[in-house]
Amino acid sequence: MNIHLSVVLAALLSSTAALAADPGVSDTEIKIGDVNIMTGPAAFVGRGVALGSKIAAAEINAAGGVNGRKITIITEDDGYIPSRSFQALTKLLEVDNIFALNGTSGTANALAMMPLITENNLPTVVTTAPAELIYNPVRPSVFTFGANYRDAFYAQLKYIHEHSEPKDAVYGIIRQDDDFGKEVENGYDRAVKEFGVKDGLRLRFKKGTTNFSAEMAQMKQAGVNVLVNGAIFAGAANVLSEARKLDMNVQSAGVWTEGIPASAKLSAPAGYDYLVGDYVAFTGPAAEKFAEMAKKFATPEELAGVSRYTFVTYIGLKVLAHAMEECGKDLTRACTIEKLRQMKNFDTGGLSAPISFDNPQQLSGTAVAVYQFNAKDGTFKGLTDFVKY
Amino acid sequence: MRTGDYKETIGQLVALSDSAVVWGWTIALIAALLLLPFFMGAYTQTLMVSALITIIGAVGLNILTGTTGLISLGQAGFMAVGAYTNAILMTDHGVPVWVSLPSAGVVAAFVSLVVGIPSLRLKGLYLAITTLAFAFIINHIILYADALTHGPNGIFVNGATLFGLDLQRGKPLYYLALGLTIAAVLLALNLSRTRVGRAWMAIRDHDIAARVMGVDLVRYKLFAFMTSSFIVGVSGALLSLQIRFVNIDVFAFILSIEALAAIILGGLGSVAGAVLGALFLSFLPEAIRLSIATFADPSSTIYTDYVYEIRGIAYGVVIVLFLRFKPDGLIGFWRDARRYWSDWPLAY
Repeated sequence: MNIHLSVVLAALLSSTAALAADPGVSDTEIKIGDVNIMTGPAAFVGRGVALGSKIAAAEINAAGGVNGRKITIITEDDGYIPSRSFQALTKLLEVDNIFALNGTSGTANALAMMPLITENNLPTVVTTAPAELIYNPVRPSVFTFGANYRDAFYAQLKYIHEHSEPKDAVYGIIRQDDDFGKEVENGYDRAVKEFGVKDGLRLRFKKGTTNFSAEMAQMKQAGVNVLVNGAIFAGAANVLSEARKLDMNVQSAGVWTEGIPASAKLSAPAGYDYLVGDYVAFTGPAAEKFAEMAKKFATPEELAGVSRYTFVTYIGLKVLAHAMEECGKDLTRACTIEKLRQMKNFDTGGLSAPISFDNPQQLSGTAVAVYQFNAKDGTFKGLTDFVKY
Repeated sequence: MRTGDYKETIGQLVALSDSAVVWGWTIALIAALLLLPFFMGAYTQTLMVSALITIIGAVGLNILTGTTGLISLGQAGFMAVGAYTNAILMTDHGVPVWVSLPSAGVVAAFVSLVVGIPSLRLKGLYLAITTLAFAFIINHIILYADALTHGPNGIFVNGATLFGLDLQRGKPLYYLALGLTIAAVLLALNLSRTRVGRAWMAIRDHDIAARVMGVDLVRYKLFAFMTSSFIVGVSGALLSLQIRFVNIDVFAFILSIEALAAIILGGLGSVAGAVLGALFLSFLPEAIRLSIATFADPSSTIYTDYVYEIRGIAYGVVIVLFLRFKPDGLIGFWRDARRYWSDWPLAY
């Protein structure tokens, strides 16, 4: 009788444990969600982002998975529209039963998903939108990897100020009229105040603007020779192209999007060796090592889409997997969040500064390295190590 | 066999329907919609709420574009006004949702006068461009009026409760959206059968002739703008309740295009068409996703590499084919089906 009772009790306990298990975890699998820009003009960014998760998952699975469980990535497209990000995450939570989230689209998209992330206590690593709005106020299950645009631009301007500032420097900024542009201007503000340089001209433009001829004519008129180029992709290339048309002799600081091959190709004809500040090493030995490893897990066509965005989600999933591994067999969301919170100096193999989330903001990877483009051969070289600003 | 409809009183002429069968089906449909949340998962419920919000927006736009003939590309702007009004009142001023929600419609209605008054002499593409410009102006105002709108940071919308029910989640949100959808549809149907509705249609069909007949163009055009914007503003406020966050990126230009596409696909000028078009566009991406997931080979390279492009192309192709072969919209399908059964066996 006692034996029977203990068997029943054991069965009850095990069934209770199974019932208590968080969604997205089985004996063999862990489901990780990814809300991403897979369609629309910014889809090439989303493809790079999705690839990072895919390569990291394949690498982890090839090495035996997370305590024997294979990682499955489920990607949902939001087309860069916040209301669709909300819908996409609802599907991932309710239909696919994901355990955690790595891949949160843009800043507004991530913010639209925050209520769902918070109420589901969903372990989330934000890697592509490291804006202050994401980590301030801090949300218990959200961990942010990456520097903000403010630091990325300050780092570049500091490098210019200390190493290559022209005589009679006049600084100028052209930036988008949104939250992203505001962050860019914050970095510019800090630099101009700290260095005591001449603040020549500040211009704003509407997202999607492609013609900058009037703005650049104003820049020339103001005598700007150190330019903060807050445009992205084709816009950034057009800013430089207009500067070239006007024969402006400027040193230019750019957004990290200008470090990806497609953007560099667009900007190269203008002939400016512009700078880029980034929190991942998109060039150099670590990037080369990554490329070698990635060949095992991605098709040649996919590899052509590798960019800095691939590195950020690759790091994001490695960080998440490490925290899940630390939890052992009894994997829960609460445990994963706790392990992420305790994470200190996680080595990313040189792809970024070591990751530590043991700070009140649960923010890491804020150190920025400065790179310089060589317009002649289309390559980038590192100018500084990762430094916190 | 039915041979036709004969109306003998004014009451019969202005009734929403004189058919007991239609009323029976309508009641059955409403009952099914009321019971639906008990049989569907949270994701389907989210899709349903999104579809209901789209229906409200489409019904609102249909009053302006379908019934009055004033083409508008300012839908996203009016939705943004409604959503921001609701968010600002609730979050910054602690106004209860039962006040903020109608206020969103009222503010959007009055803001519509800003575009309505200068647009009185415009129609067709010229009006479309004016309303588009209005949407851009709203966008700029939201971005630059930091003190009021929180600028590019956006606003989180929380605390919408009524009688202890959380109106931002689950069944209460669904029923709120359903109730407002029914109200919007009834409002549009009733208006279209009044003096106002007939004046709007006269303006749409020939505005000079309408004026000759004594229709006050200024009054009725502005009333169309205000009524449409009120409904669209409420749909924006509902969207802010659903996603619990507003930011200017939420109200992208594509919203205006999708709303216009919904009323054209449904059948311009028809309230039922606006409902069908909005439903069609809301569920088409999900139908395509499910079809691809069911019939495609998930291990194929084409599937893994291009599934999102295929979905996007399929979405466009379905709309193009639909407009090519059924230019009078979904309501045309409905009318054909109804005619077929009522005329059977003489249907041809």
